[in-house]
Amino acid sequence: MERRLTWLALVIGMWGAAILANLISLQVIHHREYAGKARAIQEVVVQIPAPRGTIFDRNGQALAMSVSTQSVHVNPQKVPDIGVASELLALVLHLDRAELEAKMRAAYESGRGYLRVKRNITAEEYESLRKMALDWIGIATESQRHYPKGQLAAHVIGGVDFEEKGNAGIEKALENELRGIPGRARMLTDVKRRGIESHEAQEPRTGTAITLTIDERLQFVAEREIAEAVAAHHAASGSVVAMNPYTGDILALASYPTYDPNVPPQPGDDPAARRNHAVSVPFEPGSVFKVITLSAALETTSLNPESPINCNGGKITLYGRTIHDSHAGMGVVPMKTVLARSSNVGAIQVGLKVGQTNMNDYVRRFGFGRRTGIPLPAESAGKVRKLQYWGKTSLPSVSMGQEVSVTTLQLAQAACVIANGGSLVKPRLVLKRGNQLQPVEPPVRILKPDNAITMRQMMEGVVLVGTGSRARLAGYSSGGKTGSAQIFDFATKHYTHTYNGSYMGFAPLTNPAVVVVVTLNGTHGEAGFGGQAAAPVFKVVAGEALRIFDVPKDLPEAEKTRTQVARNEDLDDLAIADLGANGPNILEDGDDDDAPPGAAAAAAAPAPANAAAGTMVVKGPPGPTVPNFRGKTMRDVLAEAAAKGLVILPDGSGIARVQYPAPGTPLHEGDRIRVQFAR
Amino acid sequence: MPAFLRKNEAPAAPAPAPETVTRTARPRAARDPFRLRALPHDDIFFYCKRIDNSRLVREADPQARGACWSAIGAACLLLVLLTSAFAPTAMTTLAGYKLEALHSEERRLLEERRVLDLQEAELLSPARLDQLAHENNLVTPSSGQVIHLDKPEGEVAMVK
Repeated sequence: MERRLTWLALVIGMWGAAILANLISLQVIHHREYAGKARAIQEVVVQIPAPRGTIFDRNGQALAMSVSTQSVHVNPQKVPDIGVASELLALVLHLDRAELEAKMRAAYESGRGYLRVKRNITAEEYESLRKMALDWIGIATESQRHYPKGQLAAHVIGGVDFEEKGNAGIEKALENELRGIPGRARMLTDVKRRGIESHEAQEPRTGTAITLTIDERLQFVAEREIAEAVAAHHAASGSVVAMNPYTGDILALASYPTYDPNVPPQPGDDPAARRNHAVSVPFEPGSVFKVITLSAALETTSLNPESPINCNGGKITLYGRTIHDSHAGMGVVPMKTVLARSSNVGAIQVGLKVGQTNMNDYVRRFGFGRRTGIPLPAESAGKVRKLQYWGKTSLPSVSMGQEVSVTTLQLAQAACVIANGGSLVKPRLVLKRGNQLQPVEPPVRILKPDNAITMRQMMEGVVLVGTGSRARLAGYSSGGKTGSAQIFDFATKHYTHTYNGSYMGFAPLTNPAVVVVVTLNGTHGEAGFGGQAAAPVFKVVAGEALRIFDVPKDLPEAEKTRTQVARNEDLDDLAIADLGANGPNILEDGDDDDAPPGAAAAAAAPAPANAAAGTMVVKGPPGPTVPNFRGKTMRDVLAEAAAKGLVILPDGSGIARVQYPAPGTPLHEGDRIRVQFAR
Repeated sequence: MPAFLRKNEAPAAPAPAPETVTRTARPRAARDPFRLRALPHDDIFFYCKRIDNSRLVREADPQARGACWSAIGAACLLLVLLTSAFAPTAMTTLAGYKLEALHSEERRLLEERRVLDLQEAELLSPARLDQLAHENNLVTPSSGQVIHLDKPEGEVAMVK
C-alpha cells in the first residue's frame, strides 16, 4: 500500500513538474514571442487625430481649418474581377464606371498595389463599403484642409499640398507650427473588437492655431475693390495693403488676380494668380516716392512747406537727360505745391538739395531695399542701389521714384512712418500663436515728429487741392500721394505707355487709424494714373476701415467743397522718366551708371494739353475766419479761443502742430476747431 | 428491532420455543426425504415496526450552533474577501469598456464640432453675406450711423 502511494505521489509530482516547466517555457523563455502573438490578436493600434492648426482672422473668424475625412482605396492586384469591381464601386461611390475601370486596369498593369478611388466619402458611402467587408477595399481616415471663405485672403493664407503640407503663404511660412502630428494608442480589445483599455504609444500634437492681424471684412472689401479696379482699367494686376500705422498690423493684404485655395493647381493655370503682388512683385513706385524725397528734405535741409521751389516751367535737363512734368509747367511754387501737384522737376530740385548721400540714407531708413520680415514666403526686398553704384542721374531719378523698385507692402510701411509721427514699424501679420499674443516690435524713429506732422499736412494738400482729390473721404480728413510710373519693357529697353498707378494714404489726418496703399500694375492711358485709378480704391477701402474700426469722424459729413481741381489734367502725376533707350533702369541687370542717358524723353512725353491748367478756384470767405494756432502752447491756444468765443477740441500735449479747419477757413457759428498738440 | 420467525415450520407439529428448538436437534428419521434443505437465513423475515417518538425532544447543543454560525460567518467572510479581491478587476474591465467607448465618442463629437465650425465659417463668409445683402436690398451703414449702446446694469442678472 505504501509503495502504491509513493508511485502516485511520484506521478503527481511529475505532472506538476511538467506543468511548471511548461509555465516557465510560456512565461519566461518564450514570453516575448507569445506576448507578441497575444498582442497581435488582442491589441489594435488606434490613430489619434491631431488636426492641422486653424487659421483665424483678428476677430476669430476661421479662414482655414482641417477636418477628418474618409478616403477609399483599392489594391488592384487583389481585385478578382476588375470589371465587376469597378461597376460595384462606381455604383456605391457614384463614380463614372468606365473611367474607374480604366484607372484600375492601368494600376493593375503597372503592378501598383494601391489606387485611391475617392476622397471625402459620405457617411452612407462609408457604411455601404464597410458592410461589404471586401479585403481589396480599404478605407483610410485622413485630414483635409478647407478654406471656408474661398478666395478671401488666398495669397496671405496660401495652401497645402496633397499631404497637407503648406506650399504657399502662411501655410508654408508657419508649417512647423501649423502641422499636427497624429498620435497612436494601443487598445486592448475583446473578441468583438470592443475597446477595453488603451495606452498612448505616441501623444498627438495638435497644430497651433494662428490668429492673423487680417480683418476679413476689410480684406473682402479690399479684394472686391482691387478686382473691380483692375477690370475697369484693364490692368494686369493689382494689390492693396491696409495697415495700422502704430502697431504695424496688416489689416488687409489683397492681390489680384487671385485663386481659390480649395482648388488644387491645374496644368495650364495662370501662375500670376498665385503670385502675391503686394509682397513678391516689386515695381518702380513713381511719384509716391516724392514723399520720401520731401521727408528727407525736411530732415536734412532748411526747406519747409513754404520754401519756394523753382519748377522751371515743368522741364529740366540734367546731364543730357530731359525730364518733364506730366502736366502744366509750374514756375516757382511752395514745396507743398510740389507734392500736391506732383511736380517731377520740383521733386528733383528738392532731391538735389538733399544730396545723394542723404537721399540714399533716408530711402533705406524708410525700409526700402530690404525685406520687411513679414512671415510670407518669397518676399521681395525691392531694389535700391548701393551708393557707390549711383550714377549721375540717379539722384534725380530716385527723387521722383525711379531707379528704385519697391513692393506695395514697403510703401505701406513707409506711409506708416508719416502717419504715426516718424517711426518705422515692422509689419505684423501674426497676432497670436495659439493663445499667446505676439508682441509688437519697438518702432525705430527715423523722422522728427514735427517733420512727420508737416508731411501729413502736405499730404493732406494732395487730397484737398492736388492729384489725390478722388481719394477724399466723406466725414474724414486724410492725406495721401498719388503715383504713376511708366513700366519699363526689358525686351525693347524702352519705357512703355503702360503704367503702375498707385496711391498711398492715411486717415484721419490728426490721429491716423489706417494706412492704405493701392497699386495697379499695367494700366493704360491717363485713366490708369494713380490719381484716377488707385485713389478711388483708397477711398472705399479706407472709408470701410474707418467704419469697421469705429473711428470718429473729424469732418462734417456733407462738407461743402471748398476747393476743387479745375482740370482733369491736374490729376496727372506721371513720373516721366527719360524715355530714351539708354536710360538706366533699376530693374536692369548689369547697371551702367556712367552711361549717359538718352535724350529722347521730351519727344515721348505727353505734351500738356493746356498750359493754363492747374488753376484752382477758391471761394472768397466773407466774415470771421479760423485763427492760426500753430506753434502756440495749449495755454495760449485755449486763452485765445476763450477770448474769441471759439470751441477748441485739443488733442495731445505740447505745441499746436495741426489744426482743423485750417487757418483762414470761414468760421460758422457752432464750428469746433480740432487742434493737435505734439512735443 | 426486527423480529424473525421460522418459515418451514410444520403446521401439525407443536411449535417449540424459538430459543430451544434447533434443526440439529430434530430426529433424522422423521424428516421428509423429498423436502429440500433450507437455504441459509431462509427462515428470517423483516417487518416495519411503528415507533412513536413524537415525544422525543432534541437536547439543546450551544456548541454545535456556535460552530454552525462560525462556519456561515467564515463562508461570508471568504465571499467578501474574494469579492473585494476580484471586484476591482471586474470593475476596471467594465470601466475600461466605458472609457474606450467615451473616448471614441469624444473623438467623434470633436470631429463633428469641427465640421459644424467649418459650415458656420462658410455661412458667415463675407462674400455670401454680401450677396444676401444685395438680394435683400440692404446697404452698409455709414460710419457713425451705428450707435453701440452701453450695456445695461441688469444685463448680467438677466443672463443669470
